[in-house]
Amino acid sequence: MRRILIIDDEDDIREVAALSLEATAGWHVFTASSGAKGIELAIAELPDAILMDVMMPGVDGPTTFRNMQQNPAIANIPVLLLTAKVQGVDQRRFAGLGVAAILFKPFDPLTLAEQISEVLGWNEHPPVKPDPSTPAT
Amino acid sequence: MTDNANQEIETLLAELWQRHLPTLHSRLALLERAAKSASTGVLAETPREEALSIAHKLSGNLGMFGYQQAGDIASEIEQIFRVPTPEKLTQLTALIQKLRQTLATRL
Repeated sequence: MRRILIIDDEDDIREVAALSLEATAGWHVFTASSGAKGIELAIAELPDAILMDVMMPGVDGPTTFRNMQQNPAIANIPVLLLTAKVQGVDQRRFAGLGVAAILFKPFDPLTLAEQISEVLGWNEHPPVKPDPSTPAT
Repeated sequence: MTDNANQEIETLLAELWQRHLPTLHSRLALLERAAKSASTGVLAETPREEALSIAHKLSGNLGMFGYQQAGDIASEIEQIFRVPTPEKLTQLTALIQKLRQTLATRL
């Protein structure tokens, strides 16, 4: 099962994204309302991917992403930035950060998981399920 | 995706919308206050930044609930608060009224 961390200061965005990923894809979702809390949760849970808002009060998404890159434990977790539709100059700026993808708000709750899977190539590489015939060690 | 998952999301979205209605009402009221202040063609920096943040949130989340047209209007409002000109500021009241009308049956 995929494990996703959502970082967004907006309660309704977090809730809709979480229920969407849980209901449509069966993923396990963690949520955080700020970049600082998100980094703590990322270190504790080591999710498969992080979906993070760009505009947050205090520490914004791009700065949180740069802070994550400083921590080897979480630096390789793919991060998808979630933002309102932006001008070309902002798109280039976000793309230059080295994030895995930029997704746009408003997203469609019915297809969000599909969108994430597609940009991360998860459709080609589904998570490995434990073999029930193999005894646990 | 199964029809059940689809139905579950639709139901949960409707519940969330109801739960967040008080927040939406206060956000619309804040935009209306800012628009009233801006009706002279001038708006102080603090209320402008506050209104910009609220309009940005609305433009991001109304479409997510299926209200694309309302989200588009919120984006227009956001752009005015982002790059205000005296002429544009005076259009805010009408735009916010349009936003309310678009959402009227769901408020």
